Amino acid sequence: MADSIFRKLRDGGEEGELAPALTVEETVASPFALDVSCYLLANLSSSILAGKSKSEGLVLVTFSQSPSFYLQFLKQKGIFVSSSSKWIRVLDCYTDPLGWIDQPSPGVITEGSSLIKLHKCVSDLKRLFSSIIEAGREMVGDGKTRFSVAIDSVNELLRHSSMPLVSGLLTDLRSHAQVSSLFWSLNTDLHQEKVTNALEYISTMKANLEPFCPSSDGKRNALENLFLVHQDFGKGRFHIRFKLRKGRVRVMSEEYHVDQTGINFSPISSVETIIAATKSLIPKASYLVHFNLQLSEKERFEKEKVVLPFEHQDHGKSTEIYDGRRTLADGKTEATPLSSGELQADVVSSGKGGEIIYFRDSDDEHPDSDEDPDDDLDI
Amino acid sequence: MAAPNVRTSSFSRNISVVSSSPQIPGLKCGPNGTTFISTGIRDLDRILGGGYPLGSLVMVMEDPEAPHHMDLLRTFMSQGLVNNHPLLYASPSKDPRGFLGTLPNPGSSKEDKPTAPDLDQGESLRIAWQYRKYMENQKSSIDDYSNDFDMRKPLERQFLAGRPIDCVSLLDSSDLSVAQDHCATFLSKFPRNSSNIASIGRIAIQSFCSPLCEYSDKESDMLSFIRLLKSMLMVSNAVAIVTFPPSMLSPSSSTRLQHMADTLLSIKAIPDGDKELEKLLTGYKDINGFLNIHKVARINTQVPVILEAKTFSMSLKKRRFLALECLNQAPVDGSSGTSYGTSGSCSGSSKSGALDF
Repeated sequence: MADSIFRKLRDGGEEGELAPALTVEETVASPFALDVSCYLLANLSSSILAGKSKSEGLVLVTFSQSPSFYLQFLKQKGIFVSSSSKWIRVLDCYTDPLGWIDQPSPGVITEGSSLIKLHKCVSDLKRLFSSIIEAGREMVGDGKTRFSVAIDSVNELLRHSSMPLVSGLLTDLRSHAQVSSLFWSLNTDLHQEKVTNALEYISTMKANLEPFCPSSDGKRNALENLFLVHQDFGKGRFHIRFKLRKGRVRVMSEEYHVDQTGINFSPISSVETIIAATKSLIPKASYLVHFNLQLSEKERFEKEKVVLPFEHQDHGKSTEIYDGRRTLADGKTEATPLSSGELQADVVSSGKGGEIIYFRDSDDEHPDSDEDPDDDLDI
Repeated sequence: MAAPNVRTSSFSRNISVVSSSPQIPGLKCGPNGTTFISTGIRDLDRILGGGYPLGSLVMVMEDPEAPHHMDLLRTFMSQGLVNNHPLLYASPSKDPRGFLGTLPNPGSSKEDKPTAPDLDQGESLRIAWQYRKYMENQKSSIDDYSNDFDMRKPLERQFLAGRPIDCVSLLDSSDLSVAQDHCATFLSKFPRNSSNIASIGRIAIQSFCSPLCEYSDKESDMLSFIRLLKSMLMVSNAVAIVTFPPSMLSPSSSTRLQHMADTLLSIKAIPDGDKELEKLLTGYKDINGFLNIHKVARINTQVPVILEAKTFSMSLKKRRFLALECLNQAPVDGSSGTSYGTSGSCSGSSKSGALDF
């Protein structure tokens, strides 16, 4: 499933449409958005190098880690980046985001190789936007070739600017003709729900990491929970929601497992279907009173197969009607036929000597006259 | 595959279609002295009891994952343009006029339905001759009031050129004063007098609390804007439809906005490839989303409308025409249940565990 996100990012969007955008959400209990970002980064890089991707370059904007961390990581994965690499540019907003370190030339962007650009003014989002676009254009030129943008984490951006400005920046990036796809990560515990919702609103895909055992907020039983949390720390569920074009939402889930080499995804081991979501969509059955009276082929076939109660009677065998009056086995004048062999007759015998001969008054009547006519249904 | 199960009750209000002034198309008189204008979707008109009443505020709660509120806006705006009602459109985009290019054209659905019974049929229907005249009346009146829109065809030039369409971008200013001024000047053109209706207007505001707008964290400003809009609407002959994503607001503001609405609708996205839903609903493959109706406007009366069903599925008929249908429950699978006699209750199948009876 993580593959499918990667494929969506790799393929980018159509002409004239906004670029697909992914939000990766982590929480304090499952802080692995960095691993997911690295995973996506590695995959995107290798596909760009192999020429399989629609985008020909990648602009990485780093906020929470230094650029050397990412270059190191890529080297580990076998992707070597040198200053003459034409497919990647890094915008370094980690080292000095607010421009506190004195520089001979005030303000903007200087220094470093052409690969890594130091960006000093994080609070000015318009400038950030133009730097990103500039970096991208350096790689791919001004024409129709496109590049992808990866923003390390939006937490720092939100620290320095307000929500409307940040969503404005991200939407501007999405609507720029040369950006083919874009992704960013976010820690939902650091922000209000409104902020998380707003970022989800502007993205087309949302991925979130959920630990196996939910962390408890209360202080009680902290020790027990600590043990469980510690055991399961690197593992959990990875949920993805895609917004499809028709207006539907595709929901997928996987399990993730973090270790030394990075994050690994595997399909869900235990089958626990999410019925709660469906419940909330469909109203209570009192509204669902409209039955579709037309049958599909399959339903018609099933209907043929159902055996009705009357159908399997009267197969030649005489029916057995138990009317509660078979008291003696022999010598009675009875109107109803008795089937052989299966009769459960009450044998009233008081030994070998005597016999009680008993005539019931109601024997004269037809047995079915005062009985429930449904008695002969053989259900 | 199945024909749409359009559920109409056997009692339907006989609303006369005479509009109060013949120059204004697209008006219908309703009960309690209200006048309706069409929503643009015939099914929705029928569900709401005629359409949107003049002077009401319609709010649509968006689902961030589904774009169906745009379809509601599009049909509303197209209907206004077809009926030559002046239009004010506001949206949080840099070029709101671009949206006008996505408005649908009235579809010519007449080619599918027989317009008049031909001579042969006329012969056989001679006994029921009196009903034929009602059928003809009905058809001609509906065409004037509401249209079926073909979502695939863009609106023709003749409806767009020279029409009074005012587009406002909500991104222009840092607060709502610009939008407020636009609405005030627009609505001042349609004052409500006790005499006949001179002209009517339509206002469409899209994604009102979008996170792109600079005022989106000033919730009290947004609430007072809507309150002002509603009060202006009450004394004018216009209808405003405002869509907003409720998750962008704090719960209390969202509730207050919902309270202010006269008609409240909401959109819900449908998960794709969901096996449970597929078993529960027929026609799951065609459904694009759900429309919930929370409130229906009732003006000049204290009697509420109690709808039979509040959730409808939105789908495209023939991939072109928007249709709203009641949810149809799929019949319980015959092979899974045992024969007639053994399962006693009517929902013996364990698959309908999600439903409460």
